[in-house]
Amino acid sequence: MALPKRIIKETERLMAEPVPGISAVPHEDNLRYFDVTIDGPSQSPYEQGTFKLELFLPDDYPMTPPKVRFLTKIYHPNIDKLGRICLDVLKSNWSPALQIRTILLSIQALLGAPNPDDPLANDVAKRWKEDQNAAIQTARDWTTQYAKK
Amino acid sequence: MARPRSKRGDLIEGLSYREKLSLASGVFMSEDATISPQSKQTPLNASRDARALIRLIQCPQCSLPFRSPVTLPCGRSLCRVCLPQPHRRENISYPNTPDRLTAVGCPFEECGKEHPEGDCSVDVCLSKIMETIHDVVNSCEPVPGDTPAKLWEIGTGSNPGNAGLRDQYSEHVHFGGRLLSMFAMAVMGHLNYHAEAEFSSLSNEGDDYQTMDDAVLGRLRETTHKELDCHVCYNMMYDPVTTPCGHTFCRKCLARVLDHSTHCPMCRRTLPIPPSLEQQPSNVRLVSLLQGLCPELVASRAEAVVAEEQLEMGEMDTRLFVCTLAFPSMPTFLHIFEPRYRLMIRRSLEGNRQFGMLTYNQHGVSQTDLGNTTFKEYGTMLSILNVHMLADGRSLVETMGLYRFRVRAHGTLDGYTVGRVERVEDVSLAEEERLEAQDITAVPVIDSPMEGRPSTARFNDITQLPTQQLLIEGLAFVQKMRAHSAPWLHQRIIEVNGGPPNDPALFPYWFASIIPIVDDEKYQLLQTTSVRERLKIVIGWIRRIESQRWYNGGNCLIL
Repeated sequence: MALPKRIIKETERLMAEPVPGISAVPHEDNLRYFDVTIDGPSQSPYEQGTFKLELFLPDDYPMTPPKVRFLTKIYHPNIDKLGRICLDVLKSNWSPALQIRTILLSIQALLGAPNPDDPLANDVAKRWKEDQNAAIQTARDWTTQYAKK
Repeated sequence: MARPRSKRGDLIEGLSYREKLSLASGVFMSEDATISPQSKQTPLNASRDARALIRLIQCPQCSLPFRSPVTLPCGRSLCRVCLPQPHRRENISYPNTPDRLTAVGCPFEECGKEHPEGDCSVDVCLSKIMETIHDVVNSCEPVPGDTPAKLWEIGTGSNPGNAGLRDQYSEHVHFGGRLLSMFAMAVMGHLNYHAEAEFSSLSNEGDDYQTMDDAVLGRLRETTHKELDCHVCYNMMYDPVTTPCGHTFCRKCLARVLDHSTHCPMCRRTLPIPPSLEQQPSNVRLVSLLQGLCPELVASRAEAVVAEEQLEMGEMDTRLFVCTLAFPSMPTFLHIFEPRYRLMIRRSLEGNRQFGMLTYNQHGVSQTDLGNTTFKEYGTMLSILNVHMLADGRSLVETMGLYRFRVRAHGTLDGYTVGRVERVEDVSLAEEERLEAQDITAVPVIDSPMEGRPSTARFNDITQLPTQQLLIEGLAFVQKMRAHSAPWLHQRIIEVNGGPPNDPALFPYWFASIIPIVDDEKYQLLQTTSVRERLKIVIGWIRRIESQRWYNGGNCLIL
């Protein structure tokens, strides 16, 4: 099936004007599948880390949101062991006016602002609430261990 | 507006400048522009059509270039400050949101309706276009050696009700060619929306500023173009529709968005418009702007929109709906609620109003050339008779079976199934006759594959019954069951499906549509290639029903 013009344009713009700290490169054999890296935001436990993600644009994109998953292990209350992300704009708050760029920025922002009150990884969220400093230290350790640049 | 314009386009060379001017602008006087995919206009010319170009961005109420323009629900635009004073709406209790309790009377005579205040938001797209136009105009520094030109506003006289026409020939001197000087006139309030304008160079060298006008228009075109992209498809807007919250999308894009959600993609406000968008007017001003600035792009977009679906479907030129069993000449009623099927139905309605109906391959039976598909390969082409749109975008669709087909290849398009199909047809009458003769004269088979079933002996003679007799037996069974008040022959069901047809070719389809037996049995009918074969299957069912104990028991009327 031909690739919709929107996906072509988005890809071109991502290449021409990349977002600082974020890269998204489509697979040559499947232009709907992107290899993504996001740098951990500064002032966060994920600073100095580079996280790999996969992003897939389903058939009815942009009517439905892209499917995004962390491939790099990460200690975060809104990201589970399988790398699935709990983020409203990837689910019910998706809008066709959003795009790959804005979604990846939202994920980067989520790294900078974990939300243990809306958890996906319950154990992480629990620890985050009970002993935030320890949880942040674990997140830092995991970043060093799994997401080292 | 598009067609007459293209006709006039051929004539325009033979007219005087004044006539051309009024022609070109006359085209844009209408606030009821629509898009015609066939339009092959030439874009407005910077010097020849300068007046028409400036009019494109003038408010029809105050004649100034739009200031925070609002596009009303009727598709017409005006400055926000030109909105009439809102009044309280009477006798309205639903939806009763504060922004709907007051309304403005539409100042456009063609409309005259009442628009709730909440539906009169600033048109974001048009506002941005105005900003870029001001930017371009401001960046056009006076060129050294530029000479002034004299301009006259000429009242058309055709709008006696418009008090804005002061004197017939107000005269002004401006710099910067036709476009910039007329824009300046408009900004200063010296150019009535309905008025024409004459332009005369005061240059000693007789410079007519054409090069300058072309350059300015070129820049305007380039910068406004960026604002004319749809935020959903990233293409230039095609048939733009503006939401009550002031956001503009291609009509098709917005319709698809509404298949999935009732919120505006830009601001997430709930959109109080029927999801089919059928009654939603296009943004008249944007349509005019697009047509005026780049008609060739509009035309190619129109072609692309049509071609896109066809191209993407390629060989897979048939929309398929995997849902239920349907039969030729019989009605099928559908409740459409999934976004992908809403889209499929809408596209069918735009096209030939047909789509193929397939049933699920529940038992995962391998289909001849297709392997193990989710659907069974034989289906029925349905023609849409009626669509009843529900307020939330769901729809009730009434269809009629046309012909049977077999899927030869399949794929998906925007979530629904598409395929290449081959019609399944009955053999010729000669062949039909030959089959019957062959059957009747054949030596009776004693050992049937149905051995062991109580009805074996009676099954065999079906093969030797004349085709007409098979039909008679079928009709007789129906009559008998009606006499027994079988619930599946309830008057209501007969009203929907019609009475039993006397045509032997169609009777089996009718029978299969109403008899309560499993679909796997009924599915056989779709594969048959002769009338006789179909009737034999149906009589086979009847014989089996009749042979069941509970049926012979007399009083029990489960069936």
